[in-house]
Amino acid sequence: MNTDKHGWKRILLRHETILLFVLVVEWLLFYYFGTSMNRRGITVGFGTMDRQFDILRHSCEIGLLALALTPVILTGGIDLSIGSLLGLTAIVFGKLWHDAHLSIGMAAVCAVGVGALAGGLNATLITTLRIPALIVTLGTYSLFRGLAEAITHGSVTYTDFPASFLFLGQERWLGLPAQAWLFIVVAIATWLLVHRTTFGRSFRAIGFSPEGTRYAGISVERRLTMVYVLAGIVAALAAIIYTARLGQAKADAGTGYELFAITAVVLGGTSIFGGIGSVHGTLLGVAAIAVLKNGLACLPIVIRHNSAEELSGMMTGALLLLALCSSVLPKILSTWRSRRQSHLPQQTKIA
Amino acid sequence: MDKPILQLTDIRKSFLAVRALKGVSFDLTAGEVHALLGENGAGKSTLIKVITGAHQPDTGAIQVNGNIVEKLTPASAHKLGIAAIYQQPALFPDLSVAENIALSLEPPKTFRRIRWNARHDQARQLLDRVGAKIDPDAEVRSLSMPEQQLVEIAKALGTGARILIMDEPTASLTHTEVQLLLGVVRDLRTQGVGIIYISHRLEEIFQIADRVTVLRDGESVGTNPVSKINEASLIKLMVGREVASIYPPSETQPRDVVVSLKNLGCASSGVRGVSFDVRAGEIFGLAGLVGAGRTELARILFGITPADGGEISLNGKAIQIHSPREAVEHGIAYVPEDRRRHGVILEMSIAANMTMAIHPQFFPGAWLRFGKEEAFAQTYIRDLQIKAFGPEAPGGSLSGGNQQKVALARWLATKPKVLILDEPTQGVDVGAKSEIHKIIRRLAAQGLAVIMISSDLPEILGMSDRIGVMRGGTVTGILDGKTADPHSVMAAALGQTEGINA
Repeated sequence: MNTDKHGWKRILLRHETILLFVLVVEWLLFYYFGTSMNRRGITVGFGTMDRQFDILRHSCEIGLLALALTPVILTGGIDLSIGSLLGLTAIVFGKLWHDAHLSIGMAAVCAVGVGALAGGLNATLITTLRIPALIVTLGTYSLFRGLAEAITHGSVTYTDFPASFLFLGQERWLGLPAQAWLFIVVAIATWLLVHRTTFGRSFRAIGFSPEGTRYAGISVERRLTMVYVLAGIVAALAAIIYTARLGQAKADAGTGYELFAITAVVLGGTSIFGGIGSVHGTLLGVAAIAVLKNGLACLPIVIRHNSAEELSGMMTGALLLLALCSSVLPKILSTWRSRRQSHLPQQTKIA
Repeated sequence: MDKPILQLTDIRKSFLAVRALKGVSFDLTAGEVHALLGENGAGKSTLIKVITGAHQPDTGAIQVNGNIVEKLTPASAHKLGIAAIYQQPALFPDLSVAENIALSLEPPKTFRRIRWNARHDQARQLLDRVGAKIDPDAEVRSLSMPEQQLVEIAKALGTGARILIMDEPTASLTHTEVQLLLGVVRDLRTQGVGIIYISHRLEEIFQIADRVTVLRDGESVGTNPVSKINEASLIKLMVGREVASIYPPSETQPRDVVVSLKNLGCASSGVRGVSFDVRAGEIFGLAGLVGAGRTELARILFGITPADGGEISLNGKAIQIHSPREAVEHGIAYVPEDRRRHGVILEMSIAANMTMAIHPQFFPGAWLRFGKEEAFAQTYIRDLQIKAFGPEAPGGSLSGGNQQKVALARWLATKPKVLILDEPTQGVDVGAKSEIHKIIRRLAAQGLAVIMISSDLPEILGMSDRIGVMRGGTVTGILDGKTADPHSVMAAALGQTEGINA
């Protein structure tokens, strides 16, 4: 069975096809049940272009985090701190602009630098102290959020950003929400990194066998540093578009985003144990969650009971578990079938 | 002697294509120490596993106390009074001695009262039987290695063991500790326990054993009373076959010294004071018993456990190797012993495995080129005659020999100056084995300095231009490959001084 030429590739393909199918069905259902005419004869709800762009706009930040997490999880690691890092870099960005009177551009560069440093801290703790990534980033998860709150004393939010900056988060450019262009660029870059370079190849190798990779003369430490630093940088980019979208930088920005991002990556078919996965899978995962969340909010019954938040949480969880089952199910079925077959001769003998 | 308590008749056992035991007969009487000797891979471990029920023999009969045992499992072996202790004591370090002993004696019920006093007394009694002055309440962690061995023996006695297998119990003990343990073995013998004693230390065999059986290539080549045999004849029995002429002849004249080690050591891996040179075009065999420090030496040269003393020079220049990456940059390649864990990445394709060590050179700018990679892999598949569906087949789908060729290809692709091979043909079938030998020869002819670690004595003798023999973490002798014979290599590996021209 394992001698199939493209065994795991086929499973991956199948997983992504299923996910694409789920996404399309999901979208059509919401289009049908979530769209209506108001009294003035104007279409409202899920089926409008405005709503579609809104979905795109709102999924950019979590989408960026999910993209950043894909290489991390491919190496068999995890980064729980990126949501907190989004908050910290948002505060750094806001404070540098507001209090240190740096230009928006300089403040953004500094925020990205802080993101890279924070990722470097994660990587150093993981590679030199050999502490599991889960523990390290659980620590920095609290550390980064705590720092953000310390800088703002838990209450200050930075606002009054210039309109030219808010354009990035609130307006359209070339027909798409402005931040979507940043998302697209990062998505293409991540896809190329993971699927078309030797770096992506070595991330997978580390995910399959860190020791085996080391024995091939590849510096596992350097590769891990790379993925965690990149995750930090992307978290800072997410912080900037978050600030531009809401018009304010606050310490609780991005709370809980890391879990949504991890959900999207796993839903997209990336193995939490490393090695197997794809960037396009992650993108599908992000889309499936975003459509679900926004679509539910458009259903009349949900609006009437004001239960969009609770429902979307439940449905996302259900979707994730279903996706996981769908990748395990064929295996269970085949072992079950082979067990049945091994019993068959005995049964015929009895008969 | 009286009736045997254990009798094995014509035991055969194969693992896939490898015939580990080819009809071994063995018996043990009560109150006897029966030594089992043989090279690495002669079939000792397999035989032990058959006796303890871990392996089911393909054919052959097992009798315990005169009764034929149909199907021996670990549980039924335990009930029949068969116990084994190994080189490394398998105790729970955080539990007390009494608790460790109780674990194997008390019934495995979920809910029952623990009688601490009874546990303590029982442990005391059993420890007294082996003459050990160990506090039953002491944590196992705090005990020395021989003390832990004694606890293992006490545990075995507690289960009513009448057949005790001791698999290299003295390998990690000092001389005085060994004497202590041997004293315990003598006591057990007078108590009527039958003991199967495995050791590489011949002097122990002569001190303690009544009879000795030698295994070679999965066959028993003779059982003799110890009083009627000497060390020389034992070694001859162990290695006594002719070195087959299947090994391709050496054609090259060794050229300049490529790699030179001076007093190399690494405290953490137990290697010390290693000095030798390897020349271009030379195959330098590293012989020695398991645990002699050969793999550890290779890991130093490849930067996995960097050296903390001595000097490595490459083409006359002193170099430092801190990581495998640096080793690769210096032109040192290492095909590791454990190919499934270290040699290939089983989930990745053959092509990806082959280019892993040459990413910077093969993919300029880090961009993958699938077409180029596939063509590259095809040439190696053809060249090394790798049997696979194609370059995209995952490494895990190949047989051991073909996996080894993939690992070899990965390192040939780096165009190394020094190639270290660790057990290159272990677990490889005969056909692939001789192909790998030819490849190694060809590489040496092309001017590589080859260091070949092998526990396969004919392979060492058949392939090496010179043979370094390791023992206790250092090279104890360097022999000429043309004049060395099994006897001289084995003698050096076992620590006999004769026959070594260092």
